[in-house]
Amino acid sequence: MSKEKILAGLDAGHVNTKVIIMRGQEILGYCTVPTGFDVVAAAQTALNDASDNVGISHGELGGIVATGIFRDMTKVPPLNVTSTVPEYVADAKGALFLNKNSRTVIDIGGNIQKAIRYDQNGNLLDVNQNDKCADGLGIFYTTIAKAIGLSEQEMSELALKSTNNLFIAIQCAVSAESEAIDLMCQGRDIADVADAILRFIVERVADMCTSMSLTKEIVVAGGLAKSQALIKHLSSLMKQDVSALDIPEYVGAIGAVISYEGGK
Amino acid sequence: MNEYSSVNKQLDWRRAKVIVAGVDSGAVSSKAVILLDGQPYAFSQVRTRTPKESAFSAINAALAKTHLGLQDIHYIVATGCGRAQVPFTHKTISEIACSAAGAVHIWGPTVRTVLDAGGQSCKVIHCTEKGRVTAFLWNDKCAEGIGRSMEVFADLAKKEVTEIGNIALQSDQFPKISDFCVVYARSEALDLIRSKVPLEQVIAAYHYAMAKRISTLVARLGVKKDFVIIGGLAKNPGIIDWLESILLVSSLAPKPEWDPTLTVTLGAALFADAFYRRQQYNISAPNTAGKP
Repeated sequence: MSKEKILAGLDAGHVNTKVIIMRGQEILGYCTVPTGFDVVAAAQTALNDASDNVGISHGELGGIVATGIFRDMTKVPPLNVTSTVPEYVADAKGALFLNKNSRTVIDIGGNIQKAIRYDQNGNLLDVNQNDKCADGLGIFYTTIAKAIGLSEQEMSELALKSTNNLFIAIQCAVSAESEAIDLMCQGRDIADVADAILRFIVERVADMCTSMSLTKEIVVAGGLAKSQALIKHLSSLMKQDVSALDIPEYVGAIGAVISYEGGK
Repeated sequence: MNEYSSVNKQLDWRRAKVIVAGVDSGAVSSKAVILLDGQPYAFSQVRTRTPKESAFSAINAALAKTHLGLQDIHYIVATGCGRAQVPFTHKTISEIACSAAGAVHIWGPTVRTVLDAGGQSCKVIHCTEKGRVTAFLWNDKCAEGIGRSMEVFADLAKKEVTEIGNIALQSDQFPKISDFCVVYARSEALDLIRSKVPLEQVIAAYHYAMAKRISTLVARLGVKKDFVIIGGLAKNPGIIDWLESILLVSSLAPKPEWDPTLTVTLGAALFADAFYRRQQYNISAPNTAGKP
């Protein structure tokens, strides 16, 4: 990787578009904007805002590497995207950058979650993605928090205070939502409901991971990783130590920067 | 969903003999309607947090501009999925009964089929000219949360939930997406964006899928004329239009003076009115107790 150049990593996801700006190994600044249904506009806003945060002009960027599900749509003239990299590759490289000892990353995104195993150089060994019924866990989390009138942060904090084990024991996020509402309507304690919701999410994630072997250390990426309750439940359900990465939502973007010119 | 409250200033509660209220504790919003001698007086709608808390904020919002207190209301009926959690009621009644009673009161005795399309659930109800329920059908679990999913979808599209219904009407041609599961539908809608389908078409496709989903429920029970649609989705012209063209039946237009979201709440208030009057009648003429 070039030591001098300032590079931008652009992660165009289903729900949010993330941009990180780095010089060598140093993270200069980052920014998240909702993707909306206009991927290019969101990417442009994110790039401009992140550049502003760092205090450089758009022209000073030595290169932009795009990843994420919408990466191919960002390859249009106004954005000057240098190259693209698949999100699995970027996630592995980004997770390794943030935690040198990690060998597996579980990325819980807005619409898709995946587990990726890699070696000490960040080369992919194994990848697993959710089935369609478990799509949209991230969106589900946002929706259900709103439905019971909490912020995502509050929901996670409340879940840690739960004293009763309520269960949402089904596969589907649509049914889970209505079960959670039913629990609220029965007058259950909101902390217990929040906890049940988080355990539902964790079970879906753990289900996905059962069909592959996970190598230590296991780290979690994606916005949901910021929930301590989720990490706690994931550790206990998978009977393994699991830790959250710092700035978990930028893992893909960081990996994109590191993949610049093949990671040289 | 917008939070609001309003008061009919032409009525004076000091002259009213019967002051009653209906409270609807819904999955997405909680609503209250206050009637004076059967006349609509105050309304409110707030977002539901916990059912108990939100029932209080709904009734307090309705009372706020009236100088009435909770203790001045003679009879309160609660309905909606959280009705058992509302602490200050005299009676609870299912939202099915309230939907029919409210719809017949608003649109008149010709109403025979009511579709209640709310935030969490959809119900089809057949009723008599007096608003008595004769049959109803509740959505299956896979079709839960269509109303709420509209808000989520609008957020993803960075549009207001009130405008996406009109945007949906702008396209005649659009790709088809799953009409069985909301999770699938949303995921496929996101995929359409990736394949560069214009935004209006994606919104149209999503509305069509949701309307198709609701139409199977309505078709299973059948539609008898007149047909009315109530609940939050009644305010979405995209859904209404597609629903009518899939079912080959038209619905009565909404009444300008009534927000269709408040139909169920009005039904609850009407029950409160009837129960209070019966109670008073029984007290004044104890010999006929139990024979209204």
